Amino acid sequence: MKSSFFRSVWAILKKDLRVWLSNRRNIAATIVPPLAFLLIQALGAVAVGRSPVALVTLDQGVKGQQMQQIFHSADVSRVTDATPQQAKQLYDNIQVIAVITIPRNFTQRVTAHDVSPVNVQVNNLNLDFTNDVRRSVPDAITQFYQAQGSSSPIKVTVQEQDVRLRDVQLFQYSVLPTIILLLTLSGLVTSSIATAREWETRTVKELLLSPTAHSAIIVGKVLAGFVTTFLLGMLVFLLGAALNWTRPEGVYWLTSIVVLAITALFSTGLGVALGAALHKSQPVIAISVNIAIYLFFLAGGIGVIAFEPAWLQNIAAYVPLTYGIHALEQAVFYSSSDLFGRDILILGLCALATLALGVLSMRRSIVS
Amino acid sequence: MAQVTYNLRVIWACMKKDIKVSLTDRVFAILGVFLSVNFLILFSLFVLSGGQAPTAVVMNDTGPYAQQFYQAMAGAHSFVLRKASASEAHTLIQTGRIVAVVTIPADFDTRIQNNEPVKVGVDINNLNTDFTNDIRRAVPLSITSFYAKAFPDVVTVVPKESDQYRQDTDYIPYLTVSILVIALVVGGLLQSGTSAAREWENATMKELLLSPASRWAVVTGKMLGALVMSLASVLIVLAVLIFVIGVRPMHWGEVIGFTLLTLTIFIALGTLLGTLLKQRQAFMGLAFGTAIPLFFLSGAFGPISFNTPAIQVIAQIFPVYYAIVVQQHAFHGFNLNTYGLWLNVFILCGYAFGLMSLAALVLRRSTVAN
Repeated sequence: MKSSFFRSVWAILKKDLRVWLSNRRNIAATIVPPLAFLLIQALGAVAVGRSPVALVTLDQGVKGQQMQQIFHSADVSRVTDATPQQAKQLYDNIQVIAVITIPRNFTQRVTAHDVSPVNVQVNNLNLDFTNDVRRSVPDAITQFYQAQGSSSPIKVTVQEQDVRLRDVQLFQYSVLPTIILLLTLSGLVTSSIATAREWETRTVKELLLSPTAHSAIIVGKVLAGFVTTFLLGMLVFLLGAALNWTRPEGVYWLTSIVVLAITALFSTGLGVALGAALHKSQPVIAISVNIAIYLFFLAGGIGVIAFEPAWLQNIAAYVPLTYGIHALEQAVFYSSSDLFGRDILILGLCALATLALGVLSMRRSIVS
Repeated sequence: MAQVTYNLRVIWACMKKDIKVSLTDRVFAILGVFLSVNFLILFSLFVLSGGQAPTAVVMNDTGPYAQQFYQAMAGAHSFVLRKASASEAHTLIQTGRIVAVVTIPADFDTRIQNNEPVKVGVDINNLNTDFTNDIRRAVPLSITSFYAKAFPDVVTVVPKESDQYRQDTDYIPYLTVSILVIALVVGGLLQSGTSAAREWENATMKELLLSPASRWAVVTGKMLGALVMSLASVLIVLAVLIFVIGVRPMHWGEVIGFTLLTLTIFIALGTLLGTLLKQRQAFMGLAFGTAIPLFFLSGAFGPISFNTPAIQVIAQIFPVYYAIVVQQHAFHGFNLNTYGLWLNVFILCGYAFGLMSLAALVLRRSTVAN
């Protein structure tokens, strides 16, 4: 009995994988977009969070030169030294977000304790960029005063202490949720369509009329979807690791792979259940995509869920991907297994629930 | 003349047929319409915080200078502040509920009065550099603002800002316009691509290819069908953007014109991809998989010229970039590149014409045996 179950699962798995592999367009359509995403992230990484500004230093005095050096070493913007004409051209051509001008008499005024404005002309087209400039200039001014040591009039200094051992760049941080989105979209869409197509092409008749257990059909189909989805996720994950963006350390390789696997299992199971319930590709496509997008966004895929309003956090608590993203981030970025047991348990239970849902859908469709 | 009438009849018939087929699948039709809206709403939800960092302030000193420092932090447009005791703040940061704890020491006022050095403790939950750098820059900003107000004669170096636009545009109004473009991309691709691929999957393409109808007329009819179906989605997305999120267009005519132009381009692209791939599954994977990289690539968050040269070159290959540029002009009056509005529109028209021609060409060269 057991061997017949496994033989059935194996046969269905092999059949579905062969169908998938025979379709090169499908494979290309699945693999190309994530690779394109990684390439874009790699090419744009330098610019993230550092707006370009033009710096015009009209003062050749000590203080003016010191201020110029501070703007360069502050590492909060991409600074280009320019003459007033060059700066105007850069600004007009939207090559820089702001022009910072250290005025001609800066040293003189600072020495005389007169008000010494640093002029900032900002292209305030959105607050994200504008606030970056509004923070970076006072930051440079604070550093300018700090450089004066004990004679500095600013006596308040910052004593920073970081909770985590290393900083994680924003582009690195966005890679993990993207992998989770890929796993969810690929698992849901691919498996749901593959399952629904069995009904559309009426090949399901053979499957259902055979003495195979329905659970074996579901498990076989889920495993086939799982293999392709998981391999896709692993491909992107390994590429991220090769680029040193998402490289876990030691045992956290294993925990990361486990999280990817269970997420793939969950999305594939849900896809198969959906396909078995609806039987038609067209509605299945629309529902799968909507579900994937909802799950991704509500799990905090593009933000940090803990920093969002409480009502959004409450919703996220019921979204399985929240736990997948959390577990993966802890493992990859912080080498931590904080709440790993909870995350895996919830994800695993959800994956099992989708399998049960698939069997139920299949049984109901036979009755109907 | 007879040929023109015949072609118009073909276009009309193909359009009607595609709309009817789409409407028979009610679940797909409804969900297809709401997909773009969902995208817009969900994306907006997660930028609600506007990138401001939730921060706890431990006020070990409640003197006037400490209070002024707290006010300076509140005015830094960078924090969502809450006062907390040291133990509450510790719990909040350890459980990952806040980005930072700023501790104002008990002798803050005394030291400031005596002009002695004083250290403000900043514990940072350095989850990612976006939030971490905001804190690292915003605390010095608060210090400078504090001194500028409390001791205007002491801190004489101050920023003097002049803005290009009379008022600031918040992050959400800016970003949601870019999201509108991506919603148009997804909506257009979805309707046309699945419709084209379905003809091949169901082998109904055979009838179309064997008929004496011109391939141009068939493609135009199919595209018009997808356009009509997409319009419902567009109307809802625009309604949500304007009436719910509250982003009022500066130029209504441009919004309508550019929306239709963008939709036409991506309906043509969807028809082309659907015809090339001939399978809904492959098409869907490519369409959705491509939409996300395109969103990040095409200057959704700000002018592309602020990005790296490589990204600038690649972004300008795709129409999404130009669509974002013209829609930002239509809604906010922004010029995001130096091409001028009409050159951007001309480029988009070129894409529309090119993709429509390519779709007709691919269909003309297609055979059912493929």
